[in-house]
Amino acid sequence: MHQLCDMEPRVMDDDMLKLAVGEQGPRDEAGQLAKQEGILFKDVLSLQLDFQNILRIDNLWQFENLRKLQLDNNTIEKIEGLEKLTRLVWLDLSFNNIETIEGLDTLVNLEDLSLFNNRIAKIDSLDALVKLQVLSLGNNRIGNLMNIIYLRRFKDLRTLSLAGNPIAAAEDYRMFICAYLPDLVYLDFRRIDDHTKELAEVKHQYSTDELKHQENLMQARLEDEQARREELEEHKAAFVENLNGSFLFDSMYAEDVEGSKLASLPGVAELMETYKDKFVIICLNIFEYGLKQQEKRKAELDTFNERVQEAVQENQAQGRHRTAEFEEKHLLNLSAIRGESELTNIETKIAEQREDIAELSNALMTLEMQLVEQLEETINMFERNIVDLVELFIENVQSLMAQCRDLENHHHEKLLEIAINILEKIVKGELDEDLPEDVRPLFVDKDTTVNAVGTSHDTHLLKIDNREDELVTRVNSWCTHLVDKIHKDEMTRNRRRVKEINQYVDHVQGELDSLECGDILD
Amino acid sequence: MEVLKEKVEEEEAAEREDAAERAERGEKMMRLMEVRKEETTMTQEMLRDLERKLSEIEVSIPEKPSTFTKDTIDISKLPLSYKSNTPKEEHLLQVADNFSHQYSHLCPDRVPLFLHPLNECEVPKFVSTTIRPTLMPYPELYNWDTCAQFVSDFLAMLPLPDPLKPPSYLYSSTTVLKHQKGNCFDFSTLLCSMLIGAGYDAYCVNGYGSQDLCHMDLTREVCPLTVKPKETVQEEEKAPPKKYAIKPPRDLSSRFEQEQEMKRQEEIKAEEEKRRRQEEERLMEVDSAKTDPLHGLRVHSWVLVLSGKREVPESFFIDPFTARSYSTQDDNFLGIESLWNHKNYWINMQDCWNCCKDLIFDLGDPVMWEYLLLGTDKPLLSPTEEEDNGVNDDDAVENLGKEDEDKSFDMPNSWVEQIEISPEVFETRCPNGKKVIQYKKAKLEKWAPYLNNNGLVCRLTTYEDLECTKTLEIKEWYQNREDMLELKHINKTTGLNIDYFKPGHPQALRVHSYTSMQPEMDRVMEFYEKARVDGLIKREETPKTMTEYYQGRPDFLSYRHINFGPRVKKLVLNNAESNPRPVVKITERFFRNPTKPADEDVAERVFLILDERIQLRYHCREDHITASKREFLRRTEVDSKGNKIIMTPDMCISFEVEPMEHTKKLLYQYEAMMKLKNEEKLSRHQAWESELEVLEILKLREEEEEAHVLTTSIYDTKRNEKSKEYREAMERVMHEEHLRQVEAQLDYLAPFLAQLPPGEKLTRWQAVRLKDECLSDFKQRLINKANLIQARFEKETQELQKQQQWYQENQVTLTPEDEDLYLSYCSQAMFRIRILEQRLNRHKELAPLKYLALEEKLYKDPRLVELLKVFV
Repeated sequence: MHQLCDMEPRVMDDDMLKLAVGEQGPRDEAGQLAKQEGILFKDVLSLQLDFQNILRIDNLWQFENLRKLQLDNNTIEKIEGLEKLTRLVWLDLSFNNIETIEGLDTLVNLEDLSLFNNRIAKIDSLDALVKLQVLSLGNNRIGNLMNIIYLRRFKDLRTLSLAGNPIAAAEDYRMFICAYLPDLVYLDFRRIDDHTKELAEVKHQYSTDELKHQENLMQARLEDEQARREELEEHKAAFVENLNGSFLFDSMYAEDVEGSKLASLPGVAELMETYKDKFVIICLNIFEYGLKQQEKRKAELDTFNERVQEAVQENQAQGRHRTAEFEEKHLLNLSAIRGESELTNIETKIAEQREDIAELSNALMTLEMQLVEQLEETINMFERNIVDLVELFIENVQSLMAQCRDLENHHHEKLLEIAINILEKIVKGELDEDLPEDVRPLFVDKDTTVNAVGTSHDTHLLKIDNREDELVTRVNSWCTHLVDKIHKDEMTRNRRRVKEINQYVDHVQGELDSLECGDILD
Repeated sequence: MEVLKEKVEEEEAAEREDAAERAERGEKMMRLMEVRKEETTMTQEMLRDLERKLSEIEVSIPEKPSTFTKDTIDISKLPLSYKSNTPKEEHLLQVADNFSHQYSHLCPDRVPLFLHPLNECEVPKFVSTTIRPTLMPYPELYNWDTCAQFVSDFLAMLPLPDPLKPPSYLYSSTTVLKHQKGNCFDFSTLLCSMLIGAGYDAYCVNGYGSQDLCHMDLTREVCPLTVKPKETVQEEEKAPPKKYAIKPPRDLSSRFEQEQEMKRQEEIKAEEEKRRRQEEERLMEVDSAKTDPLHGLRVHSWVLVLSGKREVPESFFIDPFTARSYSTQDDNFLGIESLWNHKNYWINMQDCWNCCKDLIFDLGDPVMWEYLLLGTDKPLLSPTEEEDNGVNDDDAVENLGKEDEDKSFDMPNSWVEQIEISPEVFETRCPNGKKVIQYKKAKLEKWAPYLNNNGLVCRLTTYEDLECTKTLEIKEWYQNREDMLELKHINKTTGLNIDYFKPGHPQALRVHSYTSMQPEMDRVMEFYEKARVDGLIKREETPKTMTEYYQGRPDFLSYRHINFGPRVKKLVLNNAESNPRPVVKITERFFRNPTKPADEDVAERVFLILDERIQLRYHCREDHITASKREFLRRTEVDSKGNKIIMTPDMCISFEVEPMEHTKKLLYQYEAMMKLKNEEKLSRHQAWESELEVLEILKLREEEEEAHVLTTSIYDTKRNEKSKEYREAMERVMHEEHLRQVEAQLDYLAPFLAQLPPGEKLTRWQAVRLKDECLSDFKQRLINKANLIQARFEKETQELQKQQQWYQENQVTLTPEDEDLYLSYCSQAMFRIRILEQRLNRHKELAPLKYLALEEKLYKDPRLVELLKVFV
């Protein structure tokens, strides 16, 4: 009790924590053991640090597995130092001097939070606490009922206490909360009866309905966004994103100053129109082909994974059977050896057992080697197939892209023709209609005109080339990554299995050895 | 004399020829070709031989049919349609006769048709009209198999009066049902009526059957109940090697050795095959030794069900005697003369040399099936099948030259009354509720439910030999038992009894197999695990062990095996319950608990109680082949300083697939061990409880066997005592209510009105008098009643006083019994007096009220109201 009288704030140092852990640890015989061994902070599940006059939360980073933390009745002013306690389910910070809610963003598992009797004025910064069920905010300084709306996002919230806040004095307080938090069961330590719920719902129906509508709209928008993002992701996985429209075509003209200028020439508009149509059709072809190929690759990968999984499972089943058989025999033999009194008999039996162990080890290793060989073959086959698929894909895409280029070339020729025609007309002074001001400089002489058209053409070709290059590089890198990953996975699998077998054999051997030692000692 | 003798001889010869011809004709049906050859070479000896054979057989005909003649049938109560023919029926008979004449003219070598036998009233009735299609009100009789089973169970079989001829009488199904016996024609007519009623395309067949079939002889048949359902081993289809399937490791075993092994196996198999064939041949010889001399001549009637209706995929025969279905190719059916349903009659025009195997049942084809009536050549139960009509017209040209009038003629309605089966009779089924069938190496006995007071309904006894002397096993089926016993299987050779229970046994027992009812012997009990709280499926016991299998427990326990040691002898001899056998070892296995990681989820734990050792084996991780293990040695030792060692590292040996840090701590191990210690206690307790439960179940079973109480459904108002009582009580109440109503309607003015001259209208004076008389009479009655009660009261009081006086006088000499008697008399008398007093008081209170009520009523009486109104 002396801490209460002594107003000197205390620091959360190692000694204090050790003391607390020791006091709250196991009792009796287990306690003796615990003392003998010492308790690691990361094994502690629950910690109580109340009435310690703590000013600042600190030094708790070691308690990784803590589930329940009580820090009530201290003089804490700021919530901090809890970032590492991600497993926390129960947090009590009542009777402190906290002014704002903060520092809880990593505690995603928190279900019960008590901030009773603090100086909090606003409910905030609780977004990460998606599992929150119980929230105690009584005796604080919350003065605005609108804070309640913030709590609507916690779908699991069932218990709330806000008594002792300025808002609790409002006559509408209870009704308001019941209306805006319809899933709440207990408010201020009292069960909300159905009658109140109904009344509240009727009373605030207008405003809650509007709120709900807005929330629904928001939700729908989010979902929409999500869906669009997923679709794009899917297309990206097929390496043909943004090819299902005029995106590429548009991008070709986006940076092409001359092109857009030239477009305003008489006759070019129609030309552009047909060109665009044809171009978009080819793009769509590429897009569809890409999706189809993606599906094919996926199916290929799936069948491969399935088969490999099957093979591994079967192999595991064999291994398990083998070990189970051995285990049974081993146990019998061990007990037989224990029961044997004749030394020579013991020795022969131990020798036999050793042989058995060697045999098991051999058998398991053979199984594993066999699997490795089989898998290697399969993986190689898969690799060949997938590389083939990718190559085919690239080839086809390239041919389609070549069509694009042809179109562009064709377009270029036509455009050049028109441009030169116009130029000639200008030169002859036969031009009927007026050219726009910004186009006029292009038709000064033939070189300028040809250059302008050529630049535009080059820009377009560059765009097409870039897109093609991007696709090819990405496909190739995906392919190499995939193959690498498969090889690596298989390697780790193999290593782990070998390690496991060795470990097991060592253990069994060890058992036998200890038996031998024991016998010799006897 | 000579002449006479000659004449006699001639007659005899004629008879002989007749008989021979008859036999021959039958055979012609069978083997037309061969017989024709033999016909020419028939000699006198052969005829005589045949005659001898025939005469032998005729002797063997039992005289039983006489028990069911028309003498025993009371025809007086039968309806008119039984005793006479309607004009339409007469017409039909004429048509039939005409048809028959033409038929015998065109096919002189075939037996006369079975068209219109006499019924029980000696009236000829056409066979088709004897079929009365009826849909039975019992859902059990909706399908052909149950229907046939019912007919075969319900009727007792009578052989035909002449096995070579159809009977001359064919009774109505109602009569047959009443007497519960009949020949094959009665059987098939009844069955046909029921099947057609249920919507099947069924026909009565008049044909030739094998001896076994005609005599309902099943001794050469294997009992269908003993035939084990063929285990359909589903060959797991080897999926074709898919893409990326791994190649199997190279087979390094010697092919030569394999071949040698295969050869050896084949030799052995061939040897076995040979032996088997020899055995079969031997059996065949035995069988063929008793061939039937009348093979192919025995007349039989059965039912043909054609495909099409009621989703029957293929046509088949039903033998009404045994209720078995046969394919139309079966060897037992040797030929068909004719067949009919309720609409028409067809004659088989196909050759039956190969039994019924080549017959085509396309009744619309007039080359194969000659029909009697035109227009209904194909039975049309549903009016939608109209495509047949076109065929009819074509056929009309080439039929046997029938008159045109046939065309417009259709079958008259059945003369038979509606077939009715009462629920009681339906339940009793067999005549007297009991039936015995002898099969090959087996005997089947059936009883009606509730006939045996232990609920036995069926018993199948299987024998080792053909003579049925050595019992192999007995199967007994029960019904309506309160302990839900369904089947008892007793194996006589091994002495193993297996009881099967339906759901609902108080201990959720499903199967109980045992050799003796003594505890701690070999036994297996299976349970309905859903009905048990502990999810126990099966408990196996041997003298030294007990194994339990569980399913669906929250703690995932799946298996518990308990080894018992020899019972420790105590000085005080107690019974088994108080001295349980010591538990040596408990093995428990658990299913995988998906919420725990595999390394912490115990798969098996073994408590070696004598060694103080606990072994744990954990579940195997998904991608591993070894599982973690842990072994605790629970020795309490004392260290050198005399302190108790709580936990040392060598007390827990563990192997971990993925070594973890926290499990190496002594504290963790200590806690785990403490927990296990507790659980060991619980498991031991569980073992003890299991033993107790076995004892309890055995006791319960014995009691149940003793008592064998039968249950009755609450809907069974005849058998269920409670509902019977309730029903009777209801009836009584209804009756009383009725009586009371009648009483209430009693006219209180009637005796007074009767004194007045009848038919006249009442005068006012008369009405007033009537009222006064009625009232005064009622007053008198009330007074009389009061007096009566008073008199009784006084009498009782006097009696009591007398007794008291007597008691006071003889008080000294009284025995305690007399005194008791006196005291009880006193209390009873006092009670009576008090009641009488109460009654008197009540009467006094009520009498004026009653009087006033009557007066009121009289004023309101419709007959007096007019006349008395003035005074009111």
